[in-house]
Amino acid sequence: MSTTTTTPQTSGTVAPQAVNHRKPSMGSHLLGVAAWVIGLLFVSPVLWMILTSFHKEADAATNPPSLFAPLSVDGYKSFFSAGPWPPILNSVTASVVSTVLVLLLAFPAAYALSIRPVRKWTDVLFFFLSTKFLPIVAGLLPIYLFAQKVHMLDNIWLLAIFYTVMNLPIAIWMLRSFLAEVPVEMLEAAQVDGANLITTLRKIIAPVVMPGISSAALICFIFSWNELLFARVLTGTRAETAPVFLTGFVTSQGLFLAKVCAASLVVSLPVLIAGFAAQDKLVQGLSMGAVR
Amino acid sequence: MSAVAQQAPKKAPTPKARKSLNAGQARNGLLLVLPTLLFLSVIILYPLINAVVISFEKDAGLDKATGMFVQGGGAGISNYTHWLLQQCGTESCPPGTLGAQFYSAFWVTIFFTVVSVAIETVLGIWFAMIMNRDFKGRALVRAAILVPWAIPTAVTAKLFYFIFAYDGIANHLLGNIGLGPFLWTSDPWAAKFAIIIADVWKTTPFMALLILAGLQLIPSDVYEAAEIDGATKWQTFTKITLPLVKVPLMVAVLFRTLDVLRIYDLPAILTNGVGGTTSLSMLVVSQIRAGGFNSASALSTLVFLLIAFTAFLFIQFGGADVIKRPPGAKKKKDAAPPTAPAATAVAAQSGVTP
Repeated sequence: MSTTTTTPQTSGTVAPQAVNHRKPSMGSHLLGVAAWVIGLLFVSPVLWMILTSFHKEADAATNPPSLFAPLSVDGYKSFFSAGPWPPILNSVTASVVSTVLVLLLAFPAAYALSIRPVRKWTDVLFFFLSTKFLPIVAGLLPIYLFAQKVHMLDNIWLLAIFYTVMNLPIAIWMLRSFLAEVPVEMLEAAQVDGANLITTLRKIIAPVVMPGISSAALICFIFSWNELLFARVLTGTRAETAPVFLTGFVTSQGLFLAKVCAASLVVSLPVLIAGFAAQDKLVQGLSMGAVR
Repeated sequence: MSAVAQQAPKKAPTPKARKSLNAGQARNGLLLVLPTLLFLSVIILYPLINAVVISFEKDAGLDKATGMFVQGGGAGISNYTHWLLQQCGTESCPPGTLGAQFYSAFWVTIFFTVVSVAIETVLGIWFAMIMNRDFKGRALVRAAILVPWAIPTAVTAKLFYFIFAYDGIANHLLGNIGLGPFLWTSDPWAAKFAIIIADVWKTTPFMALLILAGLQLIPSDVYEAAEIDGATKWQTFTKITLPLVKVPLMVAVLFRTLDVLRIYDLPAILTNGVGGTTSLSMLVVSQIRAGGFNSASALSTLVFLLIAFTAFLFIQFGGADVIKRPPGAKKKKDAAPPTAPAATAVAAQSGVTP
């Protein structure tokens, strides 16, 4: 990797390894202001939720929102007393298991589709997309009947498998777009050294496409985490997931804003944790310069 | 395979190396894809075939000719003409029936797709570029931006229902700057934009995340070279960032498009179809609820074809090299210092026309 030479006039933002392309210019101030405004509009619903979740119901219902109303944790208390732990654990199981399965299946497949030749590979890629063509509701009944036949209704493992299938296409497409960028020299070197397939995948390719892998993992995790429709149809009391529980809670407490906000925030917390965990993997890693 | 062969002459520096790597490994490659292929086939083909088969059967109901209750029976293509030609029985569907809503649902779905995907793409790129910078609290911002996406859509819809209520916050804030109040959940235009705003808010993080990962593919020396050359920010963006991030970007746009074309929970909860916001998926659900399972299957099949066609167009014209192997690392490596912007731009173009 070439060293980043920091020129003094670039407002000192060029830190080593961060990608940076800044030059102060007149228009950039305007753009900066616009960025702030849009960013603010974007986070304001989240801030509003956080604030509302800590209010008493009476204060939460006022409009405009009462910013300085006394804080309270009643919303959270009532959510936790409704017994959210089993559904949250179920969701964690389904999301983690399916994310791991997706990566195990998608990584070799993407590797084959981008680097090793597979006949009719464009057709294969298009076929993977076809999971996304049918309206979800149309797939619901056949899958429900199938689950009933194999006695897997209300079983969290079925859901994990189902989420794996649901996320495979995007994971493969994403990983493929990253693998296509891997320099051929790296693979040649591996071949010369006699590395077998698994070693090549694990030791050579994986580190290079780490940002791709971790964002694919994060995306699969989140998609599984907030999937509602299938979870609602395929699970009952035992395998109920967090979104099913949450929507049930929202329906029963729909008019109580503080509780709804508190519940939504708690349920989105694991995603926040996952996002945090994926952080450094998301940006480090690949620099094409690695082969030089 | 053929694509690789076609590219070989262009890749002057290592045509031989590439070939030797590929030789005799086709079988291996297939083995790697096979598990996924089988896995997906079982789960996708079954519902699809099921939908297609029953779409050619009659809905259960009273037979108009005999007055008897009939269960099934062949329907030929009548379930399809019901939607496409708006035929209910022998005459055309009266306005207000589900059948008559087909074209409005079709266009509004397309409208949602085009507008939200366009906005999400622009914002997504922007957010990704901001998150790619080095600043204090970047880790926090990157995690926090995921919150909207982490909340199940049904709940997001409910929250926006409160925000867009007549006496809700949106109208209150707009009132402060002298606009509104709007009937967000019933006025035809306001309702459409309420849905789009909620959708953009929810899924921009997805776009941003994918694009952010894509940005990591760009070697920093290319930017340095551009800076030395005195390229403007805009030039750097259009000539370097965009072409180099194009493949992951197109993947993000493609998957978003496929998802919005099937949009269901957001409009269902936020507006419940008021103001002409019934999407195609909502129409499928209403038809099932009305007991027309077979005609609903025909509609599903039509949606399937529409989306398949869209995906096909995308791959053919939208971003040809989503599927073709992009010019690749080789060229980028060669595109070292002084001529970087020009070289990469050429590389990107040559990728489009094989």
